[in-house]
Amino acid sequence: MDLPFAVEAIKGLFSKPSTAMYPAKPSTAAENYRGRIVFHPEKCINCMMCERVCSGHAITHTIEKTEEGDRITRTFYLGSCTFCATCMDFCNENAIEFTRDYHMIATKEEDLMVSGTFIKKPPVRKPKPAAPAAAKPAEAPAVAKPPEATADAKPEAEKTAAAAPVKSAESAPAVKAEPEKAAAPAPAAAPIEPRDDGKPVSDPSKCVYCGICAKKCPMQAITVDRASKTWTLDEDACIACGTCAECCPKKCIIM
Amino acid sequence: MTTILNALLYLGYILIYPGFLFCFFIGLLLCGIDRKLVARMQKRVGPPILQPFYDFFKLLGKETIIPAAANRTVYLLAPLLGLAALVTIQLMVPVFGFTAFSGMADVIVILYLLLIPALATIMGAAASGSPYAGVGLSREMVTILACELPLLMVLLAIAKSVGNAMGTGLCFSLSEIAAYQSAHGSLLFHPSMIPAALAFLLVIPGETGSHPFDAAEAETEICEGMLAEYSGKPLGVYKLSHAIKLLTMTSLFVALFLGGLGTGIVVLDAVIQVALCTVVTVIMISFVHAITARLRIEQIFKFYWTAVAGLALISLVLAWFGL
Amino acid sequence: MFKKLIEESTGKSPWLFHINAGSCNGCDIELVSVLTPRYDAERLGFQLAGSPRHADIVVVTGPITRQSLNRVLRTIEQVPEPRCIVTMGSCPQSGNVFRGSYAIAGPLSKYVHVDVDVAGCTPKPEAVIDGLALAAKILQEKRRAMN
Repeated sequence: MDLPFAVEAIKGLFSKPSTAMYPAKPSTAAENYRGRIVFHPEKCINCMMCERVCSGHAITHTIEKTEEGDRITRTFYLGSCTFCATCMDFCNENAIEFTRDYHMIATKEEDLMVSGTFIKKPPVRKPKPAAPAAAKPAEAPAVAKPPEATADAKPEAEKTAAAAPVKSAESAPAVKAEPEKAAAPAPAAAPIEPRDDGKPVSDPSKCVYCGICAKKCPMQAITVDRASKTWTLDEDACIACGTCAECCPKKCIIM
Repeated sequence: MTTILNALLYLGYILIYPGFLFCFFIGLLLCGIDRKLVARMQKRVGPPILQPFYDFFKLLGKETIIPAAANRTVYLLAPLLGLAALVTIQLMVPVFGFTAFSGMADVIVILYLLLIPALATIMGAAASGSPYAGVGLSREMVTILACELPLLMVLLAIAKSVGNAMGTGLCFSLSEIAAYQSAHGSLLFHPSMIPAALAFLLVIPGETGSHPFDAAEAETEICEGMLAEYSGKPLGVYKLSHAIKLLTMTSLFVALFLGGLGTGIVVLDAVIQVALCTVVTVIMISFVHAITARLRIEQIFKFYWTAVAGLALISLVLAWFGL
Repeated sequence: MFKKLIEESTGKSPWLFHINAGSCNGCDIELVSVLTPRYDAERLGFQLAGSPRHADIVVVTGPITRQSLNRVLRTIEQVPEPRCIVTMGSCPQSGNVFRGSYAIAGPLSKYVHVDVDVAGCTPKPEAVIDGLALAAKILQEKRRAMN
């Protein structure tokens, strides 16, 4: 008979147990652990990208019409979440954050709901109330995106570059240009100007009409016709999320 | 008057000291020590020593489900029968000089009584009508059969050894064995009896259904085997019986092989006996549990009928030639 | 006094029975890790029972597939009162990524009352210990209510 653990057992009897005394001694999760979701409603622009990419159908929203605008409540049901962080990766505004809190114990379903409410103003916007929130994205990617956190500075620099125009466009004081909004955006004049309402404009001199922006648009607001070389924006549907500008391979869309 | 007093005394024996209450507390305590030490050997913290008490009282408070296919009477009475048999053994095993029911019992009675708890479990399992219990009881029968031969040979060796010294040929009386040991020193220190003592020690985990020999109750494999259908109070009684069986087997070892260590004072003797029982439990149950994996049923059988029976046979032959 | 003893013991010795209702094995492994020397739930009295008849807490993992639904419900019924049902991971609570699949019979709470939900995919062992401790407390209250 072979008893390989006899010595080990006697040693174990006289040494300290290797048990982590959990409830008595609290423990923190590993650095990039993805636990309870924190939602920042003040940053959200309701592009619904998170709902589209969520594999567990964990993200829902309700819209309530009020005088101030649409009152939107976005809810994350942690009991349906896979904690894959795809929503966080896709969120252009960094409104979704995963924390290291793993205490997700509930006796009722409501305890597992994380939700936030914000009011989306009707299309004509004043200079932007979200200016302080919009300033954050520049430094946020370094902490919020685990896979890129260790990578070289290049993607981060790109991020900053991508975020910067949004910031400048939003904080720029509203200049005239009201009639321009009514005009068809597709055949825009040669030197294109960013629009004052934060919606995208395409630069026809650079555009190759690949249609990636149309595919990526969460609201299906962009129509691209390769044959006739047109790029059309449905203004009412557009929510100015910036996904098209981000995904454009030629960087010809300006917000 | 004396008859009433005697009756009261015997009632006290049955209910309190070597009987039920003593068995209850010491048995569950031994079980708790066993679980704690196994955990420590596996580098765990382990449950509190009183954990078996919590388990037992919790089970008393649970609903008792009787399966539709079960034979109600046998199903409910079997655990009690096993418990009663174990307490009876405890009454007859001498605690050094003291025996509650002296002169009534010899080793053969103990041998039969030891079978009853196992048989009661088998009866209860068969009455429950579960296929898992069926598999478990067939394995339990093989385990009993495997243990029985070495146990018998050990007892024969002891009887011959003591009988030789007493000049009576074979001596099966427990009280005489105890008396012989207090006069001539413990049997464990007789060279011819050492293999028999080892064989008995190896029988202890088999009889109690402890770790490497617990194929009959393999909880991950056949849903705890014979106890698969039991719940609530009957299950609690089974758990209690299992705990008391630890005490019974170890105290039997102490009585048969370490008999000469008594002091003559009943209370002190009881303490020494419990202490020795604990030591035997720790070595043969906890340590063996911690270092072995479960054996298959035919491995158990082979182990007992070759290695253990061989050890017992050596002692028997040595004793036969008066060594 | 006897009742009090039973009540106290009920909270201190909850035995688990684990049902895999189509789980991907992630939660199953994390549940087992709770019983390993590293986390050692046995120090809190938890023990894995082999038969549902011995259990106090039923831990369900997996999205309750159509095949397993009936078996899960029957197994839960075998557990003697007082009992506590814990869903582990997101699957039994909502179906998780399998939600809407033709093979899924939906969240467990549609069929039985679920006492504790431990969210996570899969939950950390610490979270499982928390959930089980809460379940043990609920068990004790249920026992008290039985008197």
